[in-house]
Amino acid sequence: MNFRLCGLALPIAMLAPVPAFAHHSFAMFDNTRSVTLHGKVTAFQWTNPHSYLELDADDGIHYTFEMTSPNMLSRGGWTSRTIKAGDVVTVVEAPLRDGKHGGLLLEVTLPNGHKMEPGVPNVQRYKRTS
Amino acid sequence: MRSTYPLLGLALAALAAPALPQSATHPDFTGTWERYPPPGETADPRYAPSAIPDPQMKPEHKAEWEAGQAKLKQRLEEGQPAGDNYVHCIPDGMPAMMMGMFPMEVFQRPEQINITQEAFNQTRRIYMNEKLPKWDEVDPSFYGRSVGHWEGDTLVIETVGIKDNVRFRWTPHSDAMKITERMRLLAPDYLQDQITVEDDYLEKPWTYSYTFHRMKGYKLQEYVCEDNREYVDEQGNQHLRIDN
Repeated sequence: MNFRLCGLALPIAMLAPVPAFAHHSFAMFDNTRSVTLHGKVTAFQWTNPHSYLELDADDGIHYTFEMTSPNMLSRGGWTSRTIKAGDVVTVVEAPLRDGKHGGLLLEVTLPNGHKMEPGVPNVQRYKRTS
Repeated sequence: MRSTYPLLGLALAALAAPALPQSATHPDFTGTWERYPPPGETADPRYAPSAIPDPQMKPEHKAEWEAGQAKLKQRLEEGQPAGDNYVHCIPDGMPAMMMGMFPMEVFQRPEQINITQEAFNQTRRIYMNEKLPKWDEVDPSFYGRSVGHWEGDTLVIETVGIKDNVRFRWTPHSDAMKITERMRLLAPDYLQDQITVEDDYLEKPWTYSYTFHRMKGYKLQEYVCEDNREYVDEQGNQHLRIDN
């Protein structure tokens, strides 16, 4: 959920010292590519087990982005008010593999130009292609 | 005479005073702690936790354990969820809770010690100097019934009454499983929890340890599993529920 194992087929022995990394699936997001989207935020939901950002993108499609959990975001400098409905932002996501309109949020650029990352564990294993 | 009254008063006050606070006679674990070493870092050998060995299952339970491990390994390789409890927004329970996914907080009083894990607001309660009930005298639960006592500077915690479906590393256990922990400070800011699981399903006790490092000034956050949009389909693949 919060720590997401991003590499593929890591041997269990490697996971043993950091079991927290192994709790949740990483397979539903495509870590071989990223997509950049621009649009208006309709909601920033500060909930467990994940926070969500809802976006009406410029392409006319509504997207849902999963983020880490509030406690992890908070430790990374976010608050429940970092983003609000109506903000125009740019999002980089690892898209859902099943083709639905959404993905894992890797980075967001706020209206003031400040870039925020939600602290996705092993984020370096998500390839940036956009 | 006049000068003796204050002294007498002091003596009476001392007699009437409650027992010394726990911290005066035992180490005080009160505070907030996180797993040590942090992910990706190498531990100082003085404080390094033990490796977690595989449990030595008795032959009649080995097949179930191996089947579980094979499934777990396959799930991890496929990148699909392995921790079923979490996928369904259900907390760890004992002893898995002590893996410390997120920070934990210890409240210590002479008669009771509580440990709260940030993930899922999990709290276990350790009743000091009480008799450990037999496993069939308590209703099975996620955290069971825990009693504690001090052996020198070591807090010894015994726990029974863990539900059958509350499992650590997919390891089956009997209703009579007993968990014994020996918790002590390795240094003022390093807390060790040595965990020993004893069970009829095991050839021999299963022992491993964790180390926790003190967090200065951190306040635990609430964690209510409020909106779980992840779900697992009939094929075991995880998806995100998107309504639009």
